[in-house]
Amino acid sequence: MNHNLSESILQKRIKRFKSIKRGYYSLIAIIFLYILSLLSPLWINDKPLMIRYANNQYDNGEKFEDINNNELWDLGEPFNDKVRYFFPAIWDLLDFVPGLSYPIYESKYFNQITNKFEVDFRALDKICEKENDGNYVIMPLYPYHPHEDLKDELDEIYEDMNNNGKYDNGEIFMDQNNDGVWTQNNPPTKPDGFGGRHLLGTDNTGRDVFARVIDGFKVSITFAVICTILSYSIGIILGGTLGYFGGKVDLFGVRIMEIFSALPFLFIVMILSGFMQPNLFILASILVFLSGWIGISYFIRGEFYREKAKDYVSAAVSMGASNKQVMFKHILPNALTPIITFAPFAIIGYIGTLNMLDLLGYGLQPPAASWGEILKQALENLDNWHMLIFPIIAMTITLFMITFIGEAIREAFDPKVYSRLR
Amino acid sequence: MIPVFFGSTLLVFYILQSVPDGPFEQAVKQIKMQQMQSGEGGAATGGNDKNSMEISEHVLEKMRRSYGLDKPIWKRYLIWLGLAEKENEYKEIEWGVPFRYTIKNLGQGKYAPVSLQQWMIVNLEDDGNYKIYQGAQGTDFEWKKKNPLYISPLKTPEQPEFINVYKLLPTENELWDLIDSESPNYDENYLIESNWKLAKVMENDMVGITLKKRQGIFTGYLGHSEKHNESVGTLIWNRLHISAFFGLTSFILVYLVCIPLGIIKALKHGAKFDTFSSFVVFLGYSIPPYALAAILLSLFATTNIFDTPILPSRGWRPEDWENLSLTGKWIGQIKHALLPIIAYMVGSFATLTILMKNSLMENLSQDYVRTAFAKGLTEKKVIFFHAVRNSLIPLATGIGNTIGLFLAGSYLIEKIFGIDGIGLLTFKAIGTRDYGIIMGFLVIGVLIRLFGNLISDLCYALIDPRIRFK
Repeated sequence: MNHNLSESILQKRIKRFKSIKRGYYSLIAIIFLYILSLLSPLWINDKPLMIRYANNQYDNGEKFEDINNNELWDLGEPFNDKVRYFFPAIWDLLDFVPGLSYPIYESKYFNQITNKFEVDFRALDKICEKENDGNYVIMPLYPYHPHEDLKDELDEIYEDMNNNGKYDNGEIFMDQNNDGVWTQNNPPTKPDGFGGRHLLGTDNTGRDVFARVIDGFKVSITFAVICTILSYSIGIILGGTLGYFGGKVDLFGVRIMEIFSALPFLFIVMILSGFMQPNLFILASILVFLSGWIGISYFIRGEFYREKAKDYVSAAVSMGASNKQVMFKHILPNALTPIITFAPFAIIGYIGTLNMLDLLGYGLQPPAASWGEILKQALENLDNWHMLIFPIIAMTITLFMITFIGEAIREAFDPKVYSRLR
Repeated sequence: MIPVFFGSTLLVFYILQSVPDGPFEQAVKQIKMQQMQSGEGGAATGGNDKNSMEISEHVLEKMRRSYGLDKPIWKRYLIWLGLAEKENEYKEIEWGVPFRYTIKNLGQGKYAPVSLQQWMIVNLEDDGNYKIYQGAQGTDFEWKKKNPLYISPLKTPEQPEFINVYKLLPTENELWDLIDSESPNYDENYLIESNWKLAKVMENDMVGITLKKRQGIFTGYLGHSEKHNESVGTLIWNRLHISAFFGLTSFILVYLVCIPLGIIKALKHGAKFDTFSSFVVFLGYSIPPYALAAILLSLFATTNIFDTPILPSRGWRPEDWENLSLTGKWIGQIKHALLPIIAYMVGSFATLTILMKNSLMENLSQDYVRTAFAKGLTEKKVIFFHAVRNSLIPLATGIGNTIGLFLAGSYLIEKIFGIDGIGLLTFKAIGTRDYGIIMGFLVIGVLIRLFGNLISDLCYALIDPRIRFK
């Protein structure tokens, strides 16, 4: 055994954590997947990564060659068709910021064709390909947005002869089910598999299940991390105060904690979210305020009680450290290690709670993607197995990996060596 | 426990009473909707219609009064507790004119709805005070065809049973005879002073009278459900056996599975069985109960896998329960209970097994185990009589919490499997804003918690020989 004496406890723990392979690799995988899901607007989106567009018309601000010198652009005069580049998908990276409005792409020209207020970029892509005049649209890898209703999408493949992005009378369609009729896409549709249109099918309102499962991962992890950070901050401040000062403050505080822990908090969350229609941040705050802070406060309070009797605290006090300094500079680092081991399990709990609220219909507001919301639709009609099995697989794998992380962290921070007689 | 009871109920009560779109607003909305529909049916009255759509201030005031909203929240809370008097009824009537007061709707008779009624009169006495008298209770209709009974006014009135009411009300003239009779003690038992109270005296001979009653948690009354039109106590009591059946069965089963599994895992720590069962346990920890419930449903209760669904998907018992034979009842009950109980169990399965395993491992490394081995006891005896007994202590402390959770029922599983238990009742009450049920559930929850703590302590004393109640 060669121990490096200069290694700190934390370094040792990290080393021990890394040596537990399944936990370590799970952590790497979760972080990687989370970053990937944060970047999902760049690879799962109905908006293109980039558009190059020149409209072959004279626009304001374009230079023209004024052949007849009337200072006006006339037909027949050559002009510099300004080429524009748009990057619509980039804006979606910021869509978690509440209140931020990003540009809506609409155009008269495309409006008439797609009968839509907004541009249908998938149709635009086809048109640009067909016209072949230098305009192009770069669609993301998986060109469907998790919030996008696709009720009017085509179910059978067709040849779009007039390039308007929809099936018209007289256009040839591939009659896949041989009934001689072009069938409307009736959501929910079953999975098309790789190479098909919707990898994991669509849900009741025609939203893409794959896109929503990925988005649900992002939402779940974000929510759980926000909840954990919030509850830890409140718990550390409150529990620390109660444990450090003790006495009447403690007595009063513990009563409050008991009262809050007796609340049927999920019912209250449901009642509140019924009329508040909360976004992710508000829902997280409600949840933490009603119950999340209690457990961690209890724990920190106990730790502070134990730690404040130790000699190093008396030393710090005799050196003239203020209460705040003693609490947060001296005691807290010593009390922190046990609660770090709780964090992964807290995250598991919050992911479960969020999806449960969504399952019951009292969670995030409708367009928001969530595993629980897909499950809710699946439970309405159990024949839609694809809406049942894929979110559950995603949820189970995620929670499974976080459990591994939690186990590894506990193993690293709080190793138990059992001496066995036989 | 007492501050917890008051604190939590007050907090929930305050939240419920102060969130918008409560029962009062919903009732107002409903009335407006009805007005709108009836307005559409009639002739179009044009733009001035807007005023007629509004509910008059007088009606609103009356409604607010009936919902108790004219009082501050703390007073409403006291009323809910049963410490203050609740205004059950409020009526504005003309004094000196008998009126019929409908006590309770009894149900639908052969031709018309039948209700339990009572004659009442507000009388201006000679001393200038108003006094309120009430007559016998009865109905206008013959409730049962056979043997209709006419109660003579001089007979002592009996408190009628809910179903067996076939008394007929006295006629108005007979009532007048009684009131006009010379003797002040005409019949104490018949025309007695009512427990209605005078609320206010208004113009044109009108008086407002109220029926007040102390009725709340401390008088054993859990509240009234607006939507079910039934007392919350009855509603919960009618469903208690359903939730308790699932809760207790899965509670017992989970302990029966987890304790032996934990023991085996601890004894075979590091072996293949341990690794494999750890995987299963982690999987059980990772799947939320509702997700497992959904998977089970789609596997066994639909035609996705099997040609015919082999297990029922909804309900807690077969529908034709009464006609089944004893074996049929058993099979039907087990078929209905199988999936929910598995879903119930998975929630606490992982934590309990790991807790048992770790606790036993810790005890096996203690000195007293070494001592027991040293004095020559067999391995079985050391493990099962010494180590296991001590390692059950942490499980015993949690037993109260667990039993509380199980008894109150899991609304999620009850919702997914369509079991009409307490959990589903309360969950539905949230959607319909039935505050009586929510508050009743809260009280029951606190009581179950108390009960659970008691059970915890008892188990603790049973297992840990150092603790004795003296």
